[in-house]
Formats: sequence, structure tokens, C-alpha cells
Amino acid sequence: MPSVVGLTLRGWRRWLWPAALLLSSGDIAAADAKHPAQAAVHTVIIENMQFNPGVLQVHHGERIVWVNKDLFPHTVTATSHAFDSGSIAANSSWTYVASKAGEYAYGCTFHPTMKGVIKVQ
Amino acid sequence: MKFMTALSLTLVVFVFGAAAAWAQGAGPTDPQIAAIVVTANQVDIDAGKLAKSKAHAPQVKEFAQRMITDHSGVNKSATELVQKLHVTPEPSSTSESLQKGGDENIAKLKTLSGAAFDKAYIDHEVAYHEAVLNALDKTLIPSAQNAELKALLVKVRPAFVAHLDMAKQIQGELSKSGA
Repeated sequence: MPSVVGLTLRGWRRWLWPAALLLSSGDIAAADAKHPAQAAVHTVIIENMQFNPGVLQVHHGERIVWVNKDLFPHTVTATSHAFDSGSIAANSSWTYVASKAGEYAYGCTFHPTMKGVIKVQ
Repeated sequence: MKFMTALSLTLVVFVFGAAAAWAQGAGPTDPQIAAIVVTANQVDIDAGKLAKSKAHAPQVKEFAQRMITDHSGVNKSATELVQKLHVTPEPSSTSESLQKGGDENIAKLKTLSGAAFDKAYIDHEVAYHEAVLNALDKTLIPSAQNAELKALLVKVRPAFVAHLDMAKQIQGELSKSGA
């Protein structure tokens, strides 16, 4: 039985590989024009009632993912209201693309003691 | 004032009574710790539910909702862990005194309204979070045997610290507004 599964998977891979190559070469061609091939993804862990790292520097156009590892919801809310995640449930995440340069102080509206800063270059 | 005295006594009994009860032998067992954690969270959820409907000031209502949400999240994880570890929570004098204190708090709060309710609820929240932090540091975390149970206790500690700060902040605001 496992050999049958293996064969089937291998069969699929034969078909999928060229498709994957096509997709990625297309991506690179499109990305070459203006942006780096792979825009960096930054991760901020929310745990123990803290944003870690507390201060994060990114380039504009890059993605920031906040991952909530606490046992209850948090928010990622800019003081200026430039961005607001709304409630991020436990074990969930929220992604934001830093589109405009500037320094953004943010916090959790549920827990005012939690604070962070995003510096977008 | 009478209320505060009764409240403080209950919490003092909780913290020091527990310490005294376990002073001679080992601390509470893991099944006893599990029951203490679940009860501690549940009494604060119950008080939060009452405050959400009866509180006067908006920040007190918001705080009450936060207590319901956060402590429910902690209890969900605690219950899942206890099931995974096949631990049956076991009542002890500490979990019973916590429950009794919670019941008395709710009975007292039900007789109050308006600014007096807000003040009594928040005062109790400050004392409660202080007492639980004390118990976590002095009894529960040092006594927990199972590594995952100990890790859960360590993980929830910062939430109790933040809740205490939030409650103190509101306590200050209420006293400034003359409540």
C-alpha cells in the first residue's frame, strides 16, 4: 500500500514540477521590474503580553506578520490609526504590508500596557 | 470599609492560609494546582460577567469584558492540558477558599450600584490579582511537578501582571473622578 501511495505522489510530482517552475519564473520576471525577487517577511511574536521584537525596522513594501502565541486575543493598533488588526485570536496571525515610510507606534487596545514600534524606511 | 476588610481577609486566608497549610509538607499536588487554577480563573470570569452588566463607567465595563475573555482563554488551555495529562483536578482548602471568596464578592457586588459598584469591583480586582500573583510565585509555580503544567503557570503570569496594572490604572481614575 505505501508503495502505491509513493508512486501516486511521484506521478503527481512529475506533473507539478514543471508547473511550479513556470510559476516561479513568472514571479521572478514580474518581480525584477521594481521589487526584489522575494520581499522580506518579518515576524513579530506576541507572547507573554509583549510584542517581540518591540521595535522592528522594515523597508516599505515588506510584509510584517504578527503571530499571537498568547492564550487570548490581542490587537495591533497604530496610535495614528494607520493600521488596526482588530482582534487577533489566540494562535492566529495578522499580516500587514508596510506601504508608507515613517515611524509607527502601536499597541494592543485590549491591553494598554503592550507597546511596539514599526520603523518603515 | 467593612467590605474591604472582609475581602482582604478572604484573600489573606487564600494566600497565607495556603502557604501555612503546605508549610510543613510538600506544596499542593498537580491535581490540586489544576483545581486552584481553574477556580481562580472562573471566579474572575463570574465577577466579570456581573460587572459587564452592572458597571457604570465605560472603562470598568471594558475591563470586565477583558477579564471574561482573557481568563476564559487561560481556562480553556488549562482544561485542555489537564485532559491531555489525564489529571483530575482535586479540590483543596485553597480552591475552596477561592470559591468562597468569589461567591462572597459576587453577593456583595449585587447589593451595590453605580460608582459604588465600580469602586468595589475594581478594588477587589486589584486585591485578587495581587493575591493570585503571590500564590503563583510562592506556591503554585514552585510546587508544580509536571513540566507542562509549570510552563502554563509561567505563561499566564504576565497576563496577571498586566491585569493588575490595568486595574490599578482604573482605580486611580475612579478615585480622581470622586467615585
